[in-house]
Parts: sequence; structure tokens; C-alpha cells
Amino acid sequence: MKVLKIVPEKCTGCLRCELACSYMQTGAFQPAKSVIRVSPYEGHTSYAPYTCTQCAEGWCMTACPVGAITITPAGAKDVVDDRCVGCKLCTIACPYGTIFYDHDTRKAFKCDLCGGAPACAEACPTAAIVYEETTTADWLADFAVERSARLLASGAR
Amino acid sequence: MAARHLVIGAGTAGLNCIRTIREEDGGASEIVLVAAERPYSRMVLPYYLDRSIAESHVFTATAATLAAWKVKTHIGRKAASLNPQANALTLDDGTTLEYDDCLIATGSRAVKAPVPGADSPGVHSFWTLEQARAVIAGIAPGSHVVMVGAGFIAFTILNSILSLGARLTIVEIAPRILPRMVDDKGAALVDAWLKKHGVKILTGVTLVKIDDARGKKRLRLKKGGDLLADLVVMATGIKPNLEWLQGSGIRINHGILVDDHLRSSVPNLYAAGDVAEGKDGVTGAPVVHAIEPTAMEHGRVVGANMAGRDVAYRGSLNMNIVEVCGLDVASFGAWDRPEAEAFTALRSDRSAYRKLCWTGDRLTGAVIIGRAADVWTTNDVGMLKGLVQTGGRLGAWKEHLRRNPFDVKPAFIASRTTARLLPDTTLGRPSRAPEFPTTVTR
Repeated sequence: MKVLKIVPEKCTGCLRCELACSYMQTGAFQPAKSVIRVSPYEGHTSYAPYTCTQCAEGWCMTACPVGAITITPAGAKDVVDDRCVGCKLCTIACPYGTIFYDHDTRKAFKCDLCGGAPACAEACPTAAIVYEETTTADWLADFAVERSARLLASGAR
Repeated sequence: MAARHLVIGAGTAGLNCIRTIREEDGGASEIVLVAAERPYSRMVLPYYLDRSIAESHVFTATAATLAAWKVKTHIGRKAASLNPQANALTLDDGTTLEYDDCLIATGSRAVKAPVPGADSPGVHSFWTLEQARAVIAGIAPGSHVVMVGAGFIAFTILNSILSLGARLTIVEIAPRILPRMVDDKGAALVDAWLKKHGVKILTGVTLVKIDDARGKKRLRLKKGGDLLADLVVMATGIKPNLEWLQGSGIRINHGILVDDHLRSSVPNLYAAGDVAEGKDGVTGAPVVHAIEPTAMEHGRVVGANMAGRDVAYRGSLNMNIVEVCGLDVASFGAWDRPEAEAFTALRSDRSAYRKLCWTGDRLTGAVIIGRAADVWTTNDVGMLKGLVQTGGRLGAWKEHLRRNPFDVKPAFIASRTTARLLPDTTLGRPSRAPEFPTTVTR
């Protein structure tokens, strides 16, 4: 299956992925509704995007009491809006924190891999997000450990 | 001869068991389902109450689905008695059903406060579809609704009652709201938020009786100050449906005691959901977690084992989330152990609260409250669940979270929580989409 591979060392923090994602998801440029989210490290000198891994368990999918989360042909777990009642159970079932509740539509929303052509990967100018055939992995941990060493040592925010 | 599986109860646990058996065996076995009601989802009744969904939306496995899954049904029938020696269940109409293995998933029912008038017309529970219909019929714009009980169940229908244009008063016997879902500080924040949104809350109040006055229900309170209501909802607790098992010889404590394969003291009898007392994944202790996710996971694990696989359950995680008037309130794991080390942080200006509870450097419980429209809140809900569920050692990140209890994300990522989670599946294989199997192959 093709997955979103994150190469955090290449991320410049430009946030084009968030803009592209929110535009694909909602039709408006509003990063607050992006399902890929860029976080700063090392006092805003480096950055890394974070999004759904389309995990094998599908915690959101199995938790849904009305079967409103399904698997798309691209292999993404996706919310079927007509079925979702907005109970938020998926948002506490997902242990990655990558399914959200939209206060305006009253539905859950998450990464659906844009039907197999992810806008975030297309928008990324540095190939920090690539959509390729591989096994999903913990793309960020090594980077985060390294880039947060000083923060932890100093006790500074 | 094909295995004969008997499933008692068509709630979340029972249906997940059936689905999983069919995912595993493609239709090779015999499945018989006994259900008191046509299968529906209790979780979505609040959205039926506020009319954001039609009644048809609440039903889960339809007759057509059950037929496609090759399930023989006894809908509208209740289990009356079980004879484990004979592997036989007797129904309330006298029918006897024999089985090779059986799942007991009879769920729980609402119980009303034991006061005179609790069973009079106009005093409702909100638990079953039938009860939901009665509440819907009784609320009109401008109605005054009094809710007795300020627990999770009450709070799940709070938004719905308000959105129907009713005025709402909550009466709680405990000194504070949400006693089993958040701690005192969290409860105070939610209390203030609700009062700001026009909900009247009376805590530490004892209800003496309910009678009728001037065409309304009158709630007599111990310290005076009667309340007049157009409709009363009693959300004063639930009780597992276990009485029918008296004399069966199955070991029962608060629920049916089950091992890590959800087997009761009788090996071919499984229990799941609200009637099961099984392992708490955080504390390891036996516990009844009467929540939807536990019923779902229990049901899936039982289904896999009934289908011949050997699947041990990791244990259930206590968790709840409810949104009231735009405020998210959630808790995970062991958040209320008084002896546990805990960090708390309150940001009144953002109506945000966190409580992080520790065992050594492992996060074992959490409370999170914040505005639902605030990305700051919603980002962290799932990650806190992941940290509690995996129980990984956080090392120096614990001190970071002491100083910055709102800065969960870097701790989650740098402690390699994703790597711990990725291989973790409940059944030892990827989950299937809910549409599968729409038809069985054999």
C-alpha cells in the first residue's frame, strides 16, 4: 500500500501541506482544519508534519458505533459523512490523536489520502512528505528525540 | 458437525462478536442470536433525541444483514435461564436452544432513584430506544426539563435537550457533577461553564419524592425549594442484566468474572460488555467497564476465540468523552486514584484543564477539558489516550509535562509512542471495514 512517508529533516515549516490539506478537506484555506499538522522543534528552528498512519487496527473505525468509518480503495480509513452522528467516540479511541471533530459540520474528519493523490505530498516543496509504496513506520521519533534533547536538558519551554 | 455459537444480546458486544466470527469463518458455523430488541446503537440515541438523525439511523444490523451473515434470530425474546451442564438456554417463551459455545452479552438497564413517584408518568429513563421515543414525545420548546443525576449518561443528552428549546435543571445528590468521570477541579470548571450557558445546577440535593401539581411534575427536595417540571429524566445509574443467571453456577462478582479470553468460570461460556468483569489494561485488576469501546473490543475478542483462534485481550481502558455546550470533557484510565502522583493545570481564560496521573514515569490516567472548537484541546485527546494505553516510560518527558502539562505532543512523539502502537492490533491482524462481510461465502 502507498503511504505518507514523512522525512522530518527536510521540513522547513512552510505549512503549505496544511493549506493544501485544509483546502482539499473543506474547500477553504484554513490550517485549523488540516489533518496534517506541523509542529515546531528546537525553539522554532526545525519542524515536522504529523498525520494519520492509516494503522492496521483502525481504532477509529472499530470504535464507531454506526459503522461510519470505512476503508477506501486507496487503503485509507475515511469517515462517511452521512453515517457519522458526531459522537466523538473515534476521537478518544484513536491513540495517535489523528482523527478530529469539526465543530461546524458536527462530524469527525481525518486523513483520507485524498483518494490516492494526497494534496500535502503534492504541495510539499522539499519532499518532506512523500506518497510511496512502503510500510508505514514511526517517521518522527528519531528526529524528535534529537531535536528535543536540549529542551529536556535545559528545562526551558 | 459445524460449531453452534449462541449469542445472547444484540448490542455492541453481541454484534461485534457475530461480525468477527463471520470475518474469520466465512459462514462455516451456525450462529443463533437472541435479542430482546431489534438491534440499534445506544450511543446515537442523543442524536435521535435532538432530531439530527432519523429513527432509521439508529438501527445497526438489519434483518437483511443478519440473514446475509447466516444468523438465525430470536428477536423480541429474552433469555430466561441457562443450564451450563446441558449447554442449553431457555427463552422466555419456553424455547430451548442448545449450543457448543455461548456469549452472554445482555448489557445493562437504567435504574431510577428509589423515591416515591419515580415510576409515575412523566418520569423517564433515557437508555433504550423505547425510552428515547417517550422523552422525544414529552419535550417541546419552552418545556422545563429536570434531570436527576449529573453523570456521564445525563451529560450525553444535555445538548440535545437544550437544542430542542427546553430549559434544563440538573439535580445531583453528590456535592458535585460528573463524580465518576472527572475530578473536583474539572467538575468545577464544567459546572461554571454550564451555568454560564443557562443550565441550572443543584448539587448536594436530596430528592424526597415526585408528585403531580398543576399538570406538572413536582420534585420535592429535602432542603425545600420544590421544582416544577414538564418532564423528568432520571439518569441515576445503570445495572447489569444478570439476575436471569441466578442458579447457573457461573461465577459473578460485580459482573461475570472472565479470563483474558473473556471466558467465564464455565469455559464454553463467554461474557462481554456491561455484564463482564474483566481485566483493566492499566491496573490489571478485574473491573466492569460499562462503556462502548470495551463492549466492542470484548465482542471482537470473543468472536475470534469462538471461531477457533487463540486471542488474548490486552485489557480494557476506561475512557469517556462528552461535549456540553461546546466544552469537551474527557478522561482516560486511572485518573482518580488518590494516592497517584498527579500534575494539574487550569487555564481559566481558555476554560482548559488537564490532569495527568502517574505510576513512576508512566502516564496511567488523564483528564482533559477544553473548548471543542479549540484545536489546542482536540489535538491532545487522542495522544493522551495513546500514552495511557501504551503505558510506555516517559523518562525526562515526565518533568517536561510537570512544567508544561499542555505540551503533550512532543512527549508523545519523542517517547516513540507511534512505534509502540503500530504493531498493536486487538485480533493479531488488520481490522476489516464495517461493510465486511456483507455476505458470507459458504
